[in-house]
Amino acid sequence: MKILAVCGFGVGSSMLLKMTAEKAVKELDINAEVENTDLSTAQATPADLYLTSAELKTELVHSVNAPVYSVKKFMDKEEVKQCLMDFRTKSNQND
Amino acid sequence: MQNVFSEENIKIISQIDNWQKAVEIACQPLLEEKKITQKYVTNIIKSVKKYGPYMVLTDYFALMHAKPGEGVNQLAMSLLVVKEPIDLEGKKVKIFLILACPDSKSHIKTLKEVAGVLMDQCNFELILKGTKSQIIDLFQKKEMDGGKK
Repeated sequence: MKILAVCGFGVGSSMLLKMTAEKAVKELDINAEVENTDLSTAQATPADLYLTSAELKTELVHSVNAPVYSVKKFMDKEEVKQCLMDFRTKSNQND
Repeated sequence: MQNVFSEENIKIISQIDNWQKAVEIACQPLLEEKKITQKYVTNIIKSVKKYGPYMVLTDYFALMHAKPGEGVNQLAMSLLVVKEPIDLEGKKVKIFLILACPDSKSHIKTLKEVAGVLMDQCNFELILKGTKSQIIDLFQKKEMDGGKK
C-alpha cells in the first residue's frame, strides 16, 4: 500500500511524519511505502492512506478518495500506529 | 552532517514574550550570515497563521520553515532553546528549529540526520537542558556515527 504524509510545503514537517510513519509501518509489519509531499500535490496524488494535520485534513478530504487521518504530533510513533491500526481494522471489515 | 550547528547558530535563552519573537531571534544568525532574507522570516510566521501549528511536531519541539526557495539563499538551520515554554497557537514550545531550504531536495539528507538525533529521547532531553557546547557535540557525534552506517 501507499501512504502519503502531507504538510503545507512538503519539505520539513511531512518528512518527519514520513520518518515516524516508516517506523510505525515496520513495527506493525505492514507492507507499505511512505512518501511525503505538500498539500496541493497530495490533492492530485492517489494513495491508500493520507496522514496530515487536523487543519490540512479538512482541505484534503474533499479532494481524495482514500481515508485521511489527522496526526496531532508528527513525531509521535504511537499516535501514527493508532491511525494505521484503525485503517487496517476498517480495511479488513470492508474485505 | 557537516557541522550543521555551531556557536553562532544556536541560541539558548531563558524566556521570551511570544512565538513570533522566538522565530525572529532564532532566524537572526541566518539573517546575519545572509543565508536567508527577512522575507523568509515573515513567511514562516505567515505559514503558521495559514496552516495552523502542526509544525509543533512533538511536545516542546517546533520545526519552523516556509516555502523552499523564497527568501532562502543557502541551505541552513538554526536552533533556539527557550527555557520557559512559549505558546504557539495552543501548543507549548521550547525548541525552535529553523529550516531554510533553497529547493525541495537539497536539505533531505541533513534534515534526516538532525531528525534522527532529535527523535532519541535522551538527546531531546539534552537539547532542552544542556549547554551550547553539549548540543554541538551531540550533532557532531552523530556525524561520526553516520559514517558507520
